[in-house]
Amino acid sequence: MKLSKLFNKKEFVITGEVGPPKGTHMSEVLKEARFLRPCVDAINVTDNQSAVMRLGSLVVSAKIKEQGVEPIYQLTCRDRNRIAIQSDLLSASAMGIENVLCLTGDHIQLGDHFDAKAVFDLDSVQLINVVRGLNEGHDMMGNELAGKTDFYIGAVVNPGADPLELQVIKMEKKIEAGAQFFQTQAVYDVSLFEKFIRMVEGFNVPIMVGIIPLKSPGMARYMNQNVSGIQVPESMIKEIGSVDSNSRKKKSLEMTIKLINELKDMCQGVHIMPLGWWDLIPYIVKEFKEESKCYEETRKAIAS
Amino acid sequence: MIGTVTKPMEEIYHYLQGEKKVIVVGCDGCARISHTGGEPEVNSMADKLEEKGFNVIARILPERTCYIHKTKKAFAPYDNEIKEADSFLVLGCGGAVQVVRQVTEEKGIYKPIHPGLNSIGHMDTIIEDTLFLEQCQECGECILEETGGICPVTKCAKGLLNGPCGGAENGKCEVDRNRDCAWILIYERLKRLGQLDRLKSYKPPKNYSKMSKPRMLQLNL
Repeated sequence: MKLSKLFNKKEFVITGEVGPPKGTHMSEVLKEARFLRPCVDAINVTDNQSAVMRLGSLVVSAKIKEQGVEPIYQLTCRDRNRIAIQSDLLSASAMGIENVLCLTGDHIQLGDHFDAKAVFDLDSVQLINVVRGLNEGHDMMGNELAGKTDFYIGAVVNPGADPLELQVIKMEKKIEAGAQFFQTQAVYDVSLFEKFIRMVEGFNVPIMVGIIPLKSPGMARYMNQNVSGIQVPESMIKEIGSVDSNSRKKKSLEMTIKLINELKDMCQGVHIMPLGWWDLIPYIVKEFKEESKCYEETRKAIAS
Repeated sequence: MIGTVTKPMEEIYHYLQGEKKVIVVGCDGCARISHTGGEPEVNSMADKLEEKGFNVIARILPERTCYIHKTKKAFAPYDNEIKEADSFLVLGCGGAVQVVRQVTEEKGIYKPIHPGLNSIGHMDTIIEDTLFLEQCQECGECILEETGGICPVTKCAKGLLNGPCGGAENGKCEVDRNRDCAWILIYERLKRLGQLDRLKSYKPPKNYSKMSKPRMLQLNL
């Protein structure tokens, strides 16, 4: 199912995220996906996230699709040239994958194979344009495909980026290249997000705000210093620090629900990146889905 | 110019294992500027080898080792030494090593030509005796007109053509927090020039066939 179906029905779309393992054992990642299935509309599958070599996002996307979970297949420009990228997109389509998220990808020097050759044959805007071409039935060289792809094309945007105007220009280029929905970098600062939303009002594409449940003051400070465009307000850092570490998950849930409540009217959905705390997702979703698909037994299973 | 750094002496001694008579060849062009293969460095290398028990039978310093005719000219007075030598150690770029190989092969001499330096890039911007910097990748299709005279192919760690990635923090690159994000520099410059519209136009994928190796420039004058 393409996410567009839900956006068209004006549903508030909720997506989660799983990271493939380093190795061939898929039981954990499939378990996560199965547990999240009743709660979220789709699940992003990251592509060698943080430039750390892992099992491929294509295979994990196809596997969770087999289990009835809708994947959003993430694809970066870092590791593949244009031949491999197009080939992987054809493979994904042949496996029934319908949603793709196009990203530049973290640089190799940030990952665990820092002496590898960085590819970046395409950039994210060009990648989006390539997917549109495959959807139209031709490759980058204009050769006709025997069977075209049919992807709903996603892209990312960072509402906290500075300068914001430059970020918005790139977002506009992504839309012109064929991007049909956006997921954002994690947002904590509501006023910053509001400023961004005002700038992109006329763009007319669904935007899913990125949410990472805050785990600790240390995590917040680390992100503020090191992660592009993330600004956790001091008040939130104090709030998560106001309880001892055993109570932080509960506190985090409370804060996350409050944050989404403040953001939800400005966007068309939320993308939750739980960073290990995926058991929070059913409790978050319960607050925002009128007909919650989160079954009690699933919540119990996750909580246990 | 080609930037070069000297290889560790252990590596060089390893190359020269089993050889006695060595000719040290420098380059009075780029390697002199890098302080790796000019006259002082050729002499210092030769002295080190002699201390280690090698017999350095000639020290040759072509004016520019990459110019084949200049290397031939510099080698001309050393016919006997070239025949006598067990090997050559070249303190020049990778091109210089290969030119020395070609020049000796043309003389019918087939002997090991050892590289004494590592070549680390084509440095197009120089603060003499201080800093050598690469600002151009010689990509074959210059886009500086579109990017405010700042090259993203070279100065963006990912070589992106349509704007920044999501990794810049406080205006700095995700790969090196001391280095400015090229795309923020481009944005600021184009804004100042009143040319932000150039940032908005789609840049198609690069034609990397123009960078396929080995590259060559043939003049038919």
